[in-house]
Amino acid sequence: MGAAPKAIEPAETQVPRRQFLMWLSSVGVVGSALAAIFSTFVFMKPRATYGQPNRFRIGRPEEFPTGARIAIDTKRVCIVRDGDKLAAISTTCTHLGCIVAPSATGFHCPCHGSQFDVDGNVTGGPAPKALPWYLVTITPSGELEVDKDTEIQMGTYLSV
Amino acid sequence: MSTEKKSLWKDLMDLPKNIYRSIFRNPLPASDRGRAATSFTNFFLHIQPVRVNKRTLRPSYTMGLGLISFFLFVILAVTGVLLMFYYVPSTTQAYDRMLDLRSSVAFGVILRNMHRWAAHAMVAVVFLHMCRVFLTGSYKAPREFNWNIGVGLFLLTLFSSFTGYLLPWDQLAFWAITVGTSIAGYAPLIGHQLQFLLLGDATVGQEALLRFYVLHVVVLPIALVLLVAVHFWRIRKDGGLARPEPSELPAPAAVVAPAGEVVAALPARRFAIQGLVKGPLVKVGTLDDDTVFSWPNLLIAELFVLLLTVAGLMAVSLFFNAPLEHPVNVMHPPNPAKAPWYFLGLQEQVSYSAFWGGVGVPAIELLLLVLVPYIDRSKEGVGRWFARQRVWANTLFLTFVLVNIVLIVIGTFFRGANWQFVSPF
Repeated sequence: MGAAPKAIEPAETQVPRRQFLMWLSSVGVVGSALAAIFSTFVFMKPRATYGQPNRFRIGRPEEFPTGARIAIDTKRVCIVRDGDKLAAISTTCTHLGCIVAPSATGFHCPCHGSQFDVDGNVTGGPAPKALPWYLVTITPSGELEVDKDTEIQMGTYLSV
Repeated sequence: MSTEKKSLWKDLMDLPKNIYRSIFRNPLPASDRGRAATSFTNFFLHIQPVRVNKRTLRPSYTMGLGLISFFLFVILAVTGVLLMFYYVPSTTQAYDRMLDLRSSVAFGVILRNMHRWAAHAMVAVVFLHMCRVFLTGSYKAPREFNWNIGVGLFLLTLFSSFTGYLLPWDQLAFWAITVGTSIAGYAPLIGHQLQFLLLGDATVGQEALLRFYVLHVVVLPIALVLLVAVHFWRIRKDGGLARPEPSELPAPAAVVAPAGEVVAALPARRFAIQGLVKGPLVKVGTLDDDTVFSWPNLLIAELFVLLLTVAGLMAVSLFFNAPLEHPVNVMHPPNPAKAPWYFLGLQEQVSYSAFWGGVGVPAIELLLLVLVPYIDRSKEGVGRWFARQRVWANTLFLTFVLVNIVLIVIGTFFRGANWQFVSPF
């Protein structure tokens, strides 16, 4: 009586084993392909850039007299100083990446006419958001250092 | 001894003929059987079917747009490889090499002109080809997948043209790419990552030039060749170019042939089955009478299109020089800075809304393009221009096309300093 079920058993276990191996190798192949694609993107994203460093020194605080708004186009920042408060505002237009120039009312983009006030808020034109402010610190040697990788709250000044 | 000599002499005399026969497996065809054999035993000709429908050959149906796109791509590959011999993807040398092409490289000017104008033409012609396929309803089943291969080819064409735009490293190139990659930066979540990956740096510089160069000369052409191969293969496997069902066509006038002729024609028309093709369009047994042999009908048509394409491109390249502006000056963006013309519609949209204009609306349009053959499942009006049954689909499509063309025209001609509206007249 118990002989008949026993005879079927090997056939029953064999098919799932094949399916299991098929499933396992599929996961392996697809997984490897996905890992390869992901690794390619990791490779493509540079860990170190060869261009300009995003952290750079711009000189001593005395070089920026009070009331000054000095744009450093090569670094794409504008250093503003008001009394003993100092800050670095981006001069890369938030619209399409052109360089904005300081004007009497704030900043003005020559490419598509975006207007910003002195703090970088959008006052006109197609720019979608305000100009970011960057962290400024004083190095032990007394120089100012701008870190364009660290954006800070608008209106956050460094006291010098 | 004498017979050996004689046969050697004979072999020598036959040498040119034998070499020719070893290369070309068939003599120039004189019979229908020969025409069929020529088509499927020659590597370059076997891409074509042995017989082709007469409607497919009508210039007013296809306007040769797909073929022109392909020939432009071939011309771009040839001129591009030649230009690579003199080009250096370096910010300090690229512009000088452009000047060298003008002054000291033999045929440098005409090669660069041809490459530049063919690139612009290819963007336009691929787009027109897409319009032809839509307006004749040729994207419908069983050609849904090939339509999407085509959408992929359109995107690759745009991207190839865009990556090539940066290489001269002049003011036009630099600021067009600055604006273009900034548009990519508006994509949600991945925007900034994408921009950084594309540029290899925070701004357009040496890394971006190198990346665009590699994409332009290796990655994108290989992708294009692959998709073109699949595109052509699927045309054959999906049953040739779309055409109306026989029931939709007016019945052909009955032709009474002399009895003897019919009997004589039959053996020559018995061909081996080369493969099984799905779809109702390839018939075994009875042959469609509205088909003609590809050799020479299709071949002559293709050569004619090639001739027109080359002649047109040469004419334009002889009379108009590819633009080259001042070398890159990172401090002085031109006012206005404009993306390449095919992205000016995007740039115009971006000036209204950064996200919706640059990413949202284009993504929706692209999604609609991809999904249209799966949404529109009706089988009516296939293979004819502006079929009455397709009036709504065609109107909707033409509206999208016109809106995009108008936006490009506004961006190109009606936008001056500070992106203010100006009149070109």
